[in-house]
Amino acid sequence: MAESVIEVHDVSIKLGGYSIHRGLSLSVARGEVIALIGGSGSGKSVLLREIIGLVKPQGGRIKLFGKSVWDSTPAQMNSLRRRFGVLFQDGALFSSLSVEDNVATPLFEHTELPRVTCRQLARLKLAMVGLPPDAARKRPSELSGGMRKRVALARALALDPELLFLDEPTSGLDPISGRAFDALIRLLADSLGLTVFLVTHDLDTLFSIIDRVIVLSDGRVLGSGTLAELKQIDDLWLREYFAARPTEGETLYGN
Amino acid sequence: MTAARAHFDEAQGALIASGVWHADSIIPVLPKLAGKVVRILDGAGITELDTNGAWLLLAAARPQAGDPMPEFRSFQPHHLAMLELVAQYSAVTDAKPKPPREGVLELAGRGTLVIWGHVIGLVNFIGRLFLELVDLMAFPGRWRWRELGAQVNAVFVGAIPIVFGMLFLLGVVFAYLLGSQAQQYGANIFVVDGLLLAIMREVSPVIVAVLVAGRTGAAITAQIGTMKVTEEIDAITTLGLSPLAVLVIPRVIALLLAMPLLVFIGDIAGILGGMAVTKEQLDISSHMFMDRLVDVMDLKTLLVGVCKAPVFAIFIALIACRMGLSVTRDARSVGNNTTSTVVQSLVAIIIVNAIFAVMFVRLDI
Repeated sequence: MAESVIEVHDVSIKLGGYSIHRGLSLSVARGEVIALIGGSGSGKSVLLREIIGLVKPQGGRIKLFGKSVWDSTPAQMNSLRRRFGVLFQDGALFSSLSVEDNVATPLFEHTELPRVTCRQLARLKLAMVGLPPDAARKRPSELSGGMRKRVALARALALDPELLFLDEPTSGLDPISGRAFDALIRLLADSLGLTVFLVTHDLDTLFSIIDRVIVLSDGRVLGSGTLAELKQIDDLWLREYFAARPTEGETLYGN
Repeated sequence: MTAARAHFDEAQGALIASGVWHADSIIPVLPKLAGKVVRILDGAGITELDTNGAWLLLAAARPQAGDPMPEFRSFQPHHLAMLELVAQYSAVTDAKPKPPREGVLELAGRGTLVIWGHVIGLVNFIGRLFLELVDLMAFPGRWRWRELGAQVNAVFVGAIPIVFGMLFLLGVVFAYLLGSQAQQYGANIFVVDGLLLAIMREVSPVIVAVLVAGRTGAAITAQIGTMKVTEEIDAITTLGLSPLAVLVIPRVIALLLAMPLLVFIGDIAGILGGMAVTKEQLDISSHMFMDRLVDVMDLKTLLVGVCKAPVFAIFIALIACRMGLSVTRDARSVGNNTTSTVVQSLVAIIIVNAIFAVMFVRLDI
C-alpha cells in the first residue's frame, strides 16, 4: 500500500450540542481519487474543514502527509498548507481582484517569483483548466458559474499541490458543464499525479471519475470501497441514495 | 529540499538542469537562465518537476513563444509528459503589456462623467419613487407599516445616544470658546444668545445630518446592496412586490420623521452642554441661563434648524437607497457604493446648507 496522504483517526466533534463525529477514522493513499458521500447533516463539510485546519476537532488525530494538523506550529501548518489546494463550494474567488490575480495570489504570497512571472504562471493554470485567454483580465462577477469554478480550481492548483480538496465541485453546474468539470478533474489528477478528496452529492461524478467512495453516516464511516462494494452494504440511506438515479430511458416521476 | 540547479554548456548549446524544480526552489537559478540560446534541454538530474517548474524551465529555454522548441534530452518519462503538457499551453502565457496609465485629464473626465451619472440617476430615482408613491396613495393597503416602525426604531431610537452625546460635547466646546472671548468684555450673559443661535440654527442640524449620513445612510446602502447580491431584491420583484414600496419608501419616511426629532434632541443636548460650562466658567447660574433663554429664544430660531432636517433627510435617504439598489453582484461594489453614499450625502448636506444660509439671509429670516 502506498503512503497515506490523509489520515483521520478516531475524530470526534460536537457542534451546538450535537455530536457530529463519533470516533471517525479514515485514510487516503497517494494518488487516489476519493469521494466522500453522506446524507445532509452527516458532517461531510465539517470533516473537510477539520482536515484542512479550519475547525478543530475535540478528540482524535488528523494527519496530512504524516504530519499532525492540529499539533503543528503556525509555521509548520503554513508549509503544510502549500502542499494542498482547496476548491470551496461557491468558488470563494476574491471579487476585488481580476481572474488572473485571483489565481496568482498564492504565488504572490508564497513564492518570491517576480510578479510578471506569477501572472504568466496563473495564465498557464487558467489554460490548463480550459479557460479562454481573454478571461484572465475579467472580474469574477463577469463569469458564469462554471467558469468561476474553473478559476477556483486554477487557484487551488496554483502552487502545484500534491493534494486537492474539492467541496461539491459540480453543484450548481448544468449536467454538461458538470461532466466536463469531472473529466477535467480526472485528467489533471492523472497527468499531475494528484490525490483528490472530494465531497459530493453528484451520483454522476461518483460513477465517472472516482476510485473509491467513503460513506459517512451517524458520525462514523459506514463503509468505503468501489461502488460495487458499496452496493453490497445493507443500509437504508445508501439504498435510497443509489435508487435515486434513474436509469436510461426511464423517469422516476411523471410520464 | 534540494534547490534547483542549472548550468549552461556553451559547446552544445545545452541547458543542463538538475534538482527539485518547484516554484520557490527555483528562484536562485533564474538569473543564470537569462539570455542564452538553448538548443538542448537536459533533465537527467531533475528529481522533481511540477507544472510551475516545467513552465519556468521552458521559459528559460525559449524566451519567446515563437522560438523553436529545444530538444529534450534524457528526461524521466513522467517529467517529459509534464513538460509536454505545459508546452501545449505556453502560447497563452506570453507577457502582455499592461494597459497604459491614465493621465490627469482622463481621470478628470471620467470623474465628471461619474458625477453627472449620479445627478441623472438621482433625478430618475426621484421620478420612479414619485410614481410609486402615487400608486401607494391609490392603494393604501400596500403601505408597509411594520417595516416603517422597524426603520423608525433603527434610525431614531438607536441614534439618540450618539446624537445627545455629540451635541452635548459640541455645546460644551462652543460655550467655552465663546465664553472665554465674552468674558474679556464683561459680556458673559450674551454667551447664551450666541450659543442658542449657533446650536439651533447651524450646528445641530448639520451635525445630526452628518451623523445620520454616516450611521444610517451607510447602513441602508450596505443592507440593500447585500440584498441585491443575494438576489433578495429579485425575489421581491418576482413575488409581485415593488422593491421601492417595500424597502425604499419606509426608509425615506422613517428618516423624514426621525431627523427633525433628532435635531430637536440635539438642540436640547447642546444647550445643556452650554449650560454646564457657563455655570462653571462664567458664573451664570442655571436660573439666570433659563431666564435669558426664555428672553432671547423665539420660535423662529428653533424652526429654522428643525426645518432643514427633513430636506437633509430626503437627500440622505434617496442617495443611500439608490446606491444600495445600484450595487452589482459582488462584494467590492457593496463597499464602493457604501463609501459613495457617505460622500454624496455629505456633499449634498453641505451644498443644501449653504443654499439655506443664503436663502434665509435674503428672506431676512
